[in-house]
Amino acid sequence: MADLTMFWSRDSSITKRLTRMNMLVSGAALLISCAAFVTYDLVSFREAMVHNLSIQAQIAGSNSVSALLFDDPQTAVSTLSALKAAPNIVSAGIYTPESRPFAMYWRDGAGQSLALPPIPSGQMEAHWFKEDQLVLVRKIVFQGKPSGSVFIRSDLQEMSHRLKRYAGIAAMVLFASLIAALLVASVFQRAVAEPIVHLAELAGIVSRDKDYSVRATSTGNRDEPDILIHAFNEMLGQIQEREGALQQVHRELEQRVEARTAQLAAANKELELRNREVEHATKLKSKFLASMSHELRTPLNAIVGFSDLLAEGVPGELNPKQKRFVNHIKQGSAHLLQLINDILDLSKIEAGQLELHCEHFHMKDALPEVLSTIRPLAMAKNIQVEHMLEIDRPAYADRVRFKQILYNLLSNAVKFTPQDGRISIACAEDEDFVSISVTDTGIGIRAEDQTVVFEEFRQVEGGKDSTHEGTGLGLAITKRLVEQQGGKLSLVSELGKGSRFSFTLPAGAKTTTKTSATDAVSATAPHRAAAAEGRKPLVLIVDDEAPARELLASYLDPEYRTAMAESGAEAVRRAQQLQPDAITLDVLMPGSSGFETLAALRKNPETANIPIIVVSIVDQKQVGFALGAADYLIKPIRKSVLLETIRKHVPYQYDDDAAILLVDDDPKTLELLEETLRSAGYETQSVQSGKRALEVLSSKLVSAVLLDLLMPGMDGFEVIRHVRQDAALKQLPIFVMTGKSLTPEESDLLARETQALLLKNGSWQQQLVAEVERVIRGRKLARSAGQS
Amino acid sequence: MTRKHILAPGFFHGTLGRVITWTVITWTVIAAPLLHGQQSSPTESEVKSAYLYNFGKFVEWPAKATSAGEFFPICALGDDSFGSTLETIIAGESINGKKVLVKRVARPQDAVSCRILFISSSEQNQLKEILAALDNTSVLTVSDMPQFTRRGGMIQFVVEANKVRFEVNLTSAERAGLTLSSQLLKVAINVKRSAQSGG
Repeated sequence: MADLTMFWSRDSSITKRLTRMNMLVSGAALLISCAAFVTYDLVSFREAMVHNLSIQAQIAGSNSVSALLFDDPQTAVSTLSALKAAPNIVSAGIYTPESRPFAMYWRDGAGQSLALPPIPSGQMEAHWFKEDQLVLVRKIVFQGKPSGSVFIRSDLQEMSHRLKRYAGIAAMVLFASLIAALLVASVFQRAVAEPIVHLAELAGIVSRDKDYSVRATSTGNRDEPDILIHAFNEMLGQIQEREGALQQVHRELEQRVEARTAQLAAANKELELRNREVEHATKLKSKFLASMSHELRTPLNAIVGFSDLLAEGVPGELNPKQKRFVNHIKQGSAHLLQLINDILDLSKIEAGQLELHCEHFHMKDALPEVLSTIRPLAMAKNIQVEHMLEIDRPAYADRVRFKQILYNLLSNAVKFTPQDGRISIACAEDEDFVSISVTDTGIGIRAEDQTVVFEEFRQVEGGKDSTHEGTGLGLAITKRLVEQQGGKLSLVSELGKGSRFSFTLPAGAKTTTKTSATDAVSATAPHRAAAAEGRKPLVLIVDDEAPARELLASYLDPEYRTAMAESGAEAVRRAQQLQPDAITLDVLMPGSSGFETLAALRKNPETANIPIIVVSIVDQKQVGFALGAADYLIKPIRKSVLLETIRKHVPYQYDDDAAILLVDDDPKTLELLEETLRSAGYETQSVQSGKRALEVLSSKLVSAVLLDLLMPGMDGFEVIRHVRQDAALKQLPIFVMTGKSLTPEESDLLARETQALLLKNGSWQQQLVAEVERVIRGRKLARSAGQS
Repeated sequence: MTRKHILAPGFFHGTLGRVITWTVITWTVIAAPLLHGQQSSPTESEVKSAYLYNFGKFVEWPAKATSAGEFFPICALGDDSFGSTLETIIAGESINGKKVLVKRVARPQDAVSCRILFISSSEQNQLKEILAALDNTSVLTVSDMPQFTRRGGMIQFVVEANKVRFEVNLTSAERAGLTLSSQLLKVAINVKRSAQSGG
């Protein structure tokens, strides 16, 4: 099988295949005919052999008749010995009619007399081939009477010789024929295979060299290979033609591509130029905006700040007329400030320079700050402001911008709501958004004007009696601020009945419950009670303009000590020298800029840990935070915001001589506690609810808190949580006193967050005094050791 | 034994079965010794009787002899020792289509029509006359007397090593117009070419 597959292996060439086919066919034919011939010859030879042996048996038999009849075996033996002439006869025997051996003959000397094989009845003789021998038995009949039998055995050597001879002849014939076939095949190959081989070679050249100009030479006789050659040549011609055409097209295409590429390059160059111009223009615009805002805000800042101080009567009481004038200045400058702010915001939005600082926060925490500024306006017109903001979901947005949006909508509502109207703020949560709506009972907006109100510098003509002052930018900015944060602002209104503005902001994760205690209380935070002078925190105010420095100092005055620096260099020097508790830093200053100063302060290990609050007109919060600013406020700032921010970063200065705050809903317990602690020499202040406690803590310095856990409204745990979330109150000692049985979690929490746990079970008074003593005296000792 | 196999077991209960069984047993008991006796070496007279008959097969008689009569007579002259053996051996045999017949003759003249004549040793003294009487006839003369061929007889039985052999006087036979087959001569122990005639 392996040989056969090799024989027909596919890679062999057609000439080889043809030759092999020829050889195989002629070889097979010869083999078959030889085999047939030899077989026929052998069969007929066998027949002749049997015939010959039969004749020999007859002769031997008839010659032995007399010997048989006259019982003369010797004569029979000598008769048989005549068989010597036939060398193929191995042995012979004459048998009596009774099948007894009578005379025997052996070619190779004596042998054993063999028993006579039986002859089938009715037959004269029988023969069979047996063990390379032909055996023949014949009856001897004389004068019609059976007289005995002859038995002859002949070997088949002659036949095997013959076979060998035939095999030799056949092999010779085969060999000769195959050689002849090979010769004939080579002739045929030339006639049949050569054109095909030629064609194959050409095809190889064409596919290898892609040379379509070659042509196959015709054989001349109109046979199939010739047809093939003609077709091949024709095909080559067509391909050549197409190749030419293709190359032409290719060349044209290349030229076209080159031309287009050149055009494109030119266009690109131009585009680049334009781009650079645009970039330049944008830079100029930003620069213009920055300087404009600075140039406009700086004087305005002074006007606003000092008229505020005048109105508060800080430099001295004003007479009513003066007060009225000051108020006019305040209103005018506030309006101007608003207008400038709006224009700057809008420009920033349009320039794509609006920076958003998204964080999680709750509506209800952010609302009071807005309400605190809106309420006075609303009260002036006796407008009721209601709010329903009880949703758990925090918003994920820029908190400052959120307040701006809400402020814009509310101030708008106040503006267009007549006396004794009503404004309501509602809140709802959706799948991914929280939505806030501001509904008023104002004059409403005509349907055709409802889209106009969101356009810049457009104000709806509200009627002859209403001359509403406003920039006409509020809603446009509001809409963009909402949209920039991924929300939507919509309006539903009916003329004469009121309007409802709704906006959505992305919702934060549900679990986030980040509530800031300071936020919750700061809206109502008035001045902190003055602490002992020596322990007041020191704030270094850095600004190149004296009015700005003075304004900031007046904001900080009762609560903090202040120091001044007019330049960056001075700021670094003074900070190193004074080691202030906080620094406020202006950015735009002659010489080194605020950012450089910020970096320098951060780099110096002596000043690296002082919190720096950037207070500037420039809104570059990201740069500021990147350089290590603790906070970033944009001028003009309100006093409360400044105080709140500084409080966040300046550690609470505990006044150990200050009062201990007692929190319990039971007045009798309070009285008892007061008595106990006062007799031990401590000042105390008592409040009856958690909420009150937080209010006190945000406005007053206390030395410690003694807290009951179970109270109506805000319970002790909540108070603890709020206190510990306020950075300024982190270290405030808290003593818990309770009659409640505690769960393991509660015990853990108290052990972690409070300084002592006292159980209301009779003998707590001595324990209380001991614990208070331990904590407050211990801290005093630690501080005096640290200062020395 | 083979029969038993052929017959069904129930067969032996029938009358026919019993008869056959008995026949088989009787045949084996009585016939077997007889057959054995036949196969034992034959007696001298039996051999000689058979040879007399066999000679007829290897001799060719002239046409006048063969055409006469429808029998093939084998005759005996004198006191032969065959008794009835000759008749027994030859009975029913035929040569060249002619029935073999045994005749006892008293005188040589009676033997003229015989094909083969056996002359007993008792006629030793009258042999010359006997042979003379048969002159010009085609009778094959056979005897077991000594000097028979030498005295003009054709075939003479000789006992050699307990075996019956024979001598031939070919001249006598040829003179009588008889042709003896080479086969016969081959078996003969002695073939004489020339012999005194009538002597």
